Amino acid sequence: MGLPILNRRPDSGLGNIRRSGGDPSRNIDWTMLATVGLLAIIGAFAVYSATFWKVTGDPYWFTLRQVLFLIVAVVVVVAVMAFDYTFLNERAFFLYGCALVALVLVLSVGALRGGARLSFDLGPILFQPAEFAKPAVVIVLAAYFSELREETVSYSKFIGGLVLVGVPTVLIIAQPDLGSAFVIIIGALAILLMAGAKLRYLALITVLTVMTVAAAVVAGIVDRYQLRRIEAFLNQNSNDEDLKNLVLQVRFAKRAVATGGWWGKGYLDSPLTNGKFIPVQQSDFIFSAIAEQFGLIGGAVVLGLFGLLLFRIWRVANLSKDLFGTYLCTGIFGIILWHVFQNIGMTMGIMPVTGVPLPFVSYGGSSLVAFAIMVGLVESVHMRRLR
Amino acid sequence: MRTDRRQSRLGVIGVIGALLFSVLGLRMWFLQVVDAPSLEQKVQANKTRTVRLLPERGRIFDREGRILADNERVLSITIDWNVMRDSQDRAELFARLAPVLDMSSTEMEDRYAGPIGADGRRAGSRYSPLLPMPVKEGVGEDVALYLIERNEDFPGVDVANGWNRQYPYAPLAAHVVGYLGAITKEEATQYRDLGYDLNERVGQFGVEKIYEPYLRGTPGYVKYEVDSRGVILSELERVEPIPGNDLQLALDLDIQQYAEQALETQLRLRRFVETCQAKDENKLPVKPQFPECQNLKAPAGSVVVMNHSNGEIIALASYPTFDNRWFNAGISGDKFAQIFPKTEDPDKSILVNRAIQGQYNLGSSFKPFVAYAALDAGQLPGGVAYKYFDQGSYTLTSIDEDTCQVVKCVFRNALCGGGNSPCFYGVVTVEDALAVSSDTFFYKIGEQIFSERGGQPILQEEVRKFGFGSKTGIDLPYESAGRVPDKDSKRQLVEDGVLMEGESPNYLVGDNVQLSVGQGLLAATPIQLAQAYGAMANGGAVNRPLVALALLAPGTPDSSVSGVADLSQSEVVLKLNTTNTIRTIEFPAEYRDAIVRGLQRVITGPGVDSDRYHATTGERLFASYPYEALPIAGKTGTAQGAASLPWNDSSAFAAFSLDPFQPYTVSAYLEKSGYGSKAAAPVTKCVFMALADAVKTPPVVPSDPLDLNSTMVAPDRSLPSNRCLGGAAYGGRD
Repeated sequence: MGLPILNRRPDSGLGNIRRSGGDPSRNIDWTMLATVGLLAIIGAFAVYSATFWKVTGDPYWFTLRQVLFLIVAVVVVVAVMAFDYTFLNERAFFLYGCALVALVLVLSVGALRGGARLSFDLGPILFQPAEFAKPAVVIVLAAYFSELREETVSYSKFIGGLVLVGVPTVLIIAQPDLGSAFVIIIGALAILLMAGAKLRYLALITVLTVMTVAAAVVAGIVDRYQLRRIEAFLNQNSNDEDLKNLVLQVRFAKRAVATGGWWGKGYLDSPLTNGKFIPVQQSDFIFSAIAEQFGLIGGAVVLGLFGLLLFRIWRVANLSKDLFGTYLCTGIFGIILWHVFQNIGMTMGIMPVTGVPLPFVSYGGSSLVAFAIMVGLVESVHMRRLR
Repeated sequence: MRTDRRQSRLGVIGVIGALLFSVLGLRMWFLQVVDAPSLEQKVQANKTRTVRLLPERGRIFDREGRILADNERVLSITIDWNVMRDSQDRAELFARLAPVLDMSSTEMEDRYAGPIGADGRRAGSRYSPLLPMPVKEGVGEDVALYLIERNEDFPGVDVANGWNRQYPYAPLAAHVVGYLGAITKEEATQYRDLGYDLNERVGQFGVEKIYEPYLRGTPGYVKYEVDSRGVILSELERVEPIPGNDLQLALDLDIQQYAEQALETQLRLRRFVETCQAKDENKLPVKPQFPECQNLKAPAGSVVVMNHSNGEIIALASYPTFDNRWFNAGISGDKFAQIFPKTEDPDKSILVNRAIQGQYNLGSSFKPFVAYAALDAGQLPGGVAYKYFDQGSYTLTSIDEDTCQVVKCVFRNALCGGGNSPCFYGVVTVEDALAVSSDTFFYKIGEQIFSERGGQPILQEEVRKFGFGSKTGIDLPYESAGRVPDKDSKRQLVEDGVLMEGESPNYLVGDNVQLSVGQGLLAATPIQLAQAYGAMANGGAVNRPLVALALLAPGTPDSSVSGVADLSQSEVVLKLNTTNTIRTIEFPAEYRDAIVRGLQRVITGPGVDSDRYHATTGERLFASYPYEALPIAGKTGTAQGAASLPWNDSSAFAAFSLDPFQPYTVSAYLEKSGYGSKAAAPVTKCVFMALADAVKTPPVVPSDPLDLNSTMVAPDRSLPSNRCLGGAAYGGRD
């Protein structure tokens, strides 16, 4: 099964005779890295265009920080690539435990912003543990299911996985950060699907998620503001005063995308992006800035780069020498896919608004580093597939 | 990869990813290609904000340039609606603004959502949702500057330039100048169609109302680029407003002020006069159900001064008057109701221009037109030479004796010499009849012009030529048409229940007899009286009276004298006092001479000799009038009021100049003020003396600022000297 091209073994040809073809440093997926690099560069420019007016006297305030985050991210990618990912297989639960502790801590001592405790305030930066819970959950699930030799997942095994996903998810819903919770669920669903879980198990997870969210709403953890986002999504043309800001945010974002035309209105020459119309455009609505300034072509390039990135990740899942690597890549594939779909989807009004950033492009250090870790892991799988 | 099954599952995941990406791609395509055209426009609409720039309203001058209506620049504070949407933000903003503007948050909330009604709910704001909401008008420059400098602390708060109307000479000519007011519910559609904002103030009375379209000017606008919070980023387009045209009136404030003072002084003097009922043989009152004597009420009146050669209105006074600054004083509704109380009593109505809205009997002052009608219709055998033997009473001949048992067939002259017998004037011509105001002469005309012509409305048609029964077309609002009674109008009156019960719905010969002496169902306005006398004066041209002379280009500069504009530097945009003759009456010189001579004798005498010498009705009064300086001719009139009681007599007088270089016609009407020769004639005399420069008119100076603590609708005013009102008056009803 499978297309031959996808199953093709890498060239182990002659090349450098002193080092084997299986040497990890010779098996770096440069295409993936280049794709990520391009996205990050586009992101930095987009962030500048959406923020240069924000801080009086310092148009580069946001951009400079984003570039610093990128440098950190590069270091992180290199560091993670250097590690053998199988090393994580044994320490998966330790990492997972750390993530849980961070999630619990953030609920009590996290910085309160807009009624939610999403992050630790570490002076100059805000650290969001939910971002790091994403790779942690993927790693622990991959490790948990890779022990399995059968082609299908037993019910007991499934319940174990469910607990592993459920605990951090509930903690994140409690923050409340529904967007990140859904991301983790999607990543887990991808791994479960891959591991051979029955469809009803997947349905059960979906039902449980809905129930948890419902419970959180009833318990008052998910406040009216989050609900109004859903309401605003369902009534995108509403004139309701309560929904006005939410409706307008999406409406302006849609307009920004819609009015870009083929080639866009030009960099720094776009009334919506450069005119303070769209709140938090530099993080959640960065795609609208790109689409308005660079048009359909620009939007298609970004989408295409994500498509290429995801294809490369999917390919690594296929090439992995062990199940752990496959599951790892599958989970990361699901997470990034969902980030892209959720983020661009909400910008264009086909998904409700949640605070999910566009990977590598949106402004924000925590998510950038978290995605750097994920890319590094995938690269690590790719580099060591021949050993 | 270990197995094919896992690989196929991975394939499924890949397909799902590809599907999701397709959705995104399709959506982007859809947004760009399908939605874009309609969304593009919205983007344009959303990123601009238009602020209207109100034009300066045209100023109003008298004929010499004295500024009757001026403008003062005022600053008002506005708030963008967008920043007030959220109730918390709004409360916070209001709380911060409250100490700066020195008004409570509650007042601001009232402006935002309307005052709380009886049902406890707010009625909704009365301000336009398309323009920033005005939160306070007339703030000082310091407050405006404070808010502008702290724009970051007061988002959406802006300063708007506006205008406040000033009336420097108020209450002078208040009924002519008028006032500005809010657009009423009924007018809303009309003004909206004309491009007004519903919170603009528009002329609601006087020339302010009639010339509203010219005075207002054309608003401009400035288009700003704004962000989603309403913060102005840049100015995109600016169209300056075009100020309204200035308006020059025909009024001469010297005469206007003098006429107003004379009218008010005379009314006040008349209130001291006690009048008593006529007595029967036993020295008892004729109408025992009423008191024997009572002071005159003299509540109201009006004066018209018109140039009869062209219709220009030199002065137009109406009492009770008002200070038109009250309408811009920003007083509360309660205070306003205190100053302008709602009343059912027509004697007390203030906001009515009696000179053009009052519909009155004219009494004998109507007789010159009846005389013309009789001459023109050939009713008098021999015309002006026709002689009639006045025996003091007239018995109708067209009604048989039996009927005369039921209806009134005998009509008498007024009583003479304090006795109980009617005046007896002997043989009189038309001229004599007018001079001494013989009633019987006109009773006969009134009967015969009706009964001998088969009941045709000959008299009505003749007097209508002079403008009675139709609006004069003066450029002031709410003019009344009056009524020349005929078959139709009487039936209408009976149907409407206006007349007493038992009154016949048919127009009878008695009605015509009443009409012939200006009583009964006749209704005419003082402006109609002036117009008709003016036509008599100028040989038959019925001129449309006009208050305005010309529209001037905006921005007439002030002169060196305070309160006066320099008209020599003005530019006439539209001359308004042209083509103003409504109709030219065929007026043979023979008729005119006879009538004018009669009216002239009213002023100068002589009267007629019969049993004794009967002076004319104005002879003694006008003995102190400088006839040589400005020769005039006029006629007194006493309109009988309710139950024909003497204190219900209203006083009318109209006169015109015989000097072609000073072609003025003056009419005065003083309600419930007694005989024409005693109340209205002296006022007219004073005005003519002022026109002849025979008295020194007091200087016209801008008034003191309006005292907001006062509850007087207008200050009391009087002539500096009431000598001109004096003079021995004629003793009888005229």
